[in-house]
This record gives sequence, C-alpha cells and structure tokens, in this order.
Amino acid sequence: MIAVRAGEIGKLGELFERHHGPLYGFFVHHTGDRTASEDLVQLVFYRILKYRHTYRDEGRFFAWIYHLARKVAADHFRRSNAAPRGTDPDDLNAVPDEAPHAADRAVTADDTARLHAALAALEPNQREMLVLARFQHLKHEEIARLYDLSVGAVKVRVHRALKDLRDIYFKLSREQTA
Amino acid sequence: MNCQRIQESFLDYQDGRLSPPDASAVREHLKVCLDCQREWAGLQEISLKLDRLPPVAPSPRLRTQFYAMLETHRRESDSHSPFVQMRSRFDRLFSALLPARPALQFALACLMLGAGLFFGTRFIHPAVNEETAREIEALKKQLASTNEQIASTNQLVTHSILQQQSTGERLKMVLASLDLKKGDQLVVSDLLSALAFDPSVNVRLSALEALYPHATMPAVRSAVAASLPRDPSPLVQVTMIDFLAASRDPAVSSTLEDVSRSQTYDKAVREAARRALAQL
Ligand SMILES: [Zn+2]
Repeated sequence: MIAVRAGEIGKLGELFERHHGPLYGFFVHHTGDRTASEDLVQLVFYRILKYRHTYRDEGRFFAWIYHLARKVAADHFRRSNAAPRGTDPDDLNAVPDEAPHAADRAVTADDTARLHAALAALEPNQREMLVLARFQHLKHEEIARLYDLSVGAVKVRVHRALKDLRDIYFKLSREQTA
Repeated sequence: MNCQRIQESFLDYQDGRLSPPDASAVREHLKVCLDCQREWAGLQEISLKLDRLPPVAPSPRLRTQFYAMLETHRRESDSHSPFVQMRSRFDRLFSALLPARPALQFALACLMLGAGLFFGTRFIHPAVNEETAREIEALKKQLASTNEQIASTNQLVTHSILQQQSTGERLKMVLASLDLKKGDQLVVSDLLSALAFDPSVNVRLSALEALYPHATMPAVRSAVAASLPRDPSPLVQVTMIDFLAASRDPAVSSTLEDVSRSQTYDKAVREAARRALAQL
C-alpha cells in the first residue's frame, strides 16, 4: 500500500487481486444486488487510486478499505433512495445447485433466498455491521475502530442484529410453508 | 450469572473467546435454563445458515473494467504529472549518488552540510519567523540531550534544507532523508524545520512522512503539535493530526482539543481532531 501511495499505481493490481473478492461479498450481502455490487467494488478501487495520498496509517489497509466501502455503500443507498431492493429471486437464486452432493447441503436455494430476504429486511446500519462481522470476518475490535464504538457496543449490536435476522428468517419460513 | 448476562456472552462463547471459567459457567447454565437453551439454539441455527450460504463471485467484467481504469489512470498520470516523474528521477539520482556504505554516506553528508553552512551563512538570509526559529532551537536542544554529538551537526543540516533555492531542491533533500539508515537523528531537526518553515505543501507533507519513523520521540511529537496551529494548509493540518493520533500520546490531546473547538480551523481539520481525540 505504501508503494501505491508513492505513485506506483501498477501495485494497485496486487491489491485488487487480494481484496476484490471479499469486497464483492460485502456489497452483495449488503445491497442484495449483484450487478450493482461490481460497480461498487470498482468505485472503491477508484477511490483508493484517487485518495491514496491521504492514506497514512500503515498496516491498517484492511480497515481503510472497509472505511471506503462503507462510504460507497452509503452513497449507493442514498442514490437508490431505498434500503436494498427486497428480494429479486432471480438474482439471488443465480447460484446453481451444482455440487455433486447437493442433497447434503444444508442451505437450499429457497433457504438462500429467504436468508437474503431476511438480511434485506434488517435496518441498513445493522445489516452492514452484521455483514462485516459474519461474512467479512472482521474482529469486533476492528469493527469498533471502524465505527468509533466500544468493543462492547459492537458485540451488543451484532448480537441484536443476529437475533433480529433470526426472527425475520423464521417468520418468513413460517409464511412460506403455511 | 443471570440469564441476561449469559445471553450477552453468547457471541464470545460461540467464537471461543470466553475465559475457561466463564465458558464453563455458560455451559453449566445452559444445562439447567430452558430460556437460554432456546436462545442459544436459535443463535446457533441462524449462524450456521449464514456460514453455509453459497459463496458469491463477481463476473469477469469486474476485472476487465478495473484494469481498464488502471490503464487510463496510468496514461493520464504519465502525461500530466511531472511531479511523479520528477520524484522517481530524484530517487534514481540519489540512489546513484549516495555511496552504499553507511560510513561513506555519513562522510558525504557531513561534507555537504559543511558546504551548505559555508555558502549559506555568506550568501543567503532566510526569512523565517523568529519566534518559530527560537522554538526549533529549543527543540534541537531537547534532541541534543539524547545525543550531544549529533546536536552540533543538527544546525548545519537545518541550513542545508531551508536554504535550497527551489521547491524541487528542498523536496529532493527531504526525500533523500527517507533513505538514510545511519545517523537518523541527524535529519530529525532538519525535517522539523522543513515542516515548520517550508512554503511548499509538498515539501511539508513529505517532511511529515519522513518523520513517521521518529514519532516515538516526545520532542518530535511536541514539535509537530506546535507546528499544527500555524500551518496555513488544512491538508497538512489534517495530516499532522493523523500523525499525532497514530502516536497515541495523551500529551497532545490539549492541542487537539483546542483545534477541535476553535472556529479558526477548517471544518475538515476540526473533524479530524475530534476523531483523533476519540482514538487517543
Ligand atoms: Zn438462563
């Protein structure tokens, strides 16, 4: 990252290869929109390129990239002027059940769609923190720094988000099987 | 432990982050409490479902677009930014000029300083704020207390950067200091002077960057804190605040508090100071 800041923009390629997959996961689970998520990842790297001179805190590139990602996501929600589009089943079911032992898999396509619908129903800030903790595997300490909160407050919020997600998910399950 | 406290520790229990006694307290409680059992089972189930969501992967379009963007940027910066080119040319020039052996580097540095002093005192009269100059002198004394011998050369170095005629020349000297491995303290007061006096934002930012390895010295932190209110550029001020915040020194909090409250600072600067205070 220090090399990128110093102007060797070619090095950005390495950072892209290392981080674009996880970042894409962050946006997909946060926005529920696969196509838009690719644009948002691109936007994050554009900002890294543009603002690399402002990046100072060596060794915390990981935190910086999610700091930018959060801003990009917030802008996206402001633009589309809505929390994520509920569910677009075509979009979310796009992952084919191609594994050889598909029957063994605990999560079916229906299940996946329901889970995404439940995620989409969470309040955006709540969902964002949950995605960082559960999909991006950020430590509670890292999230605390990112949000300027105490570690205890982060734990309470992640726990709250998980409980809400569970309630929404089971409610959807009951409605769909009824 | 009561049910609420047990349930609050579920996340840490799940991650295996509880101390052994706390973990066994949760385990024991779960054996006897139906409410907590239900709560725990629900949490486990939703967590498991999240873990087992199929992974998502972007289409090849993303990679194609990224590298197209990078290529466009590279072309633009090659044609529009003489600064980047100049900087890499300086780097090459200096790696060619500087001898590889530290002893020779030191000797060469002394020679250059001597020459700088000789010409500097005879031909150039720097227009620097006297009060600031006195503060820098005081700082040099502070630095001297850690190393007497180096202090005598500090003065020479200070002259050498400030009296370079062009921004390019001064920047070159600051950048060269980034590569110095021996005699690090030699350049510290030099860099502090550049930070306090240099009219170029680029030179001041580079000086600050070169000071990062020396942020452990209290004298360096207080010098940066002293330069902060005087710097005319919000960009440099924000960078200084980041520098101070990274040092995690509680002694700088009064400066940061003043900055965060005073309306004379740019809004971005005040915000940076507030963020830094929260970090300290
Ligand atoms: Zn209980």
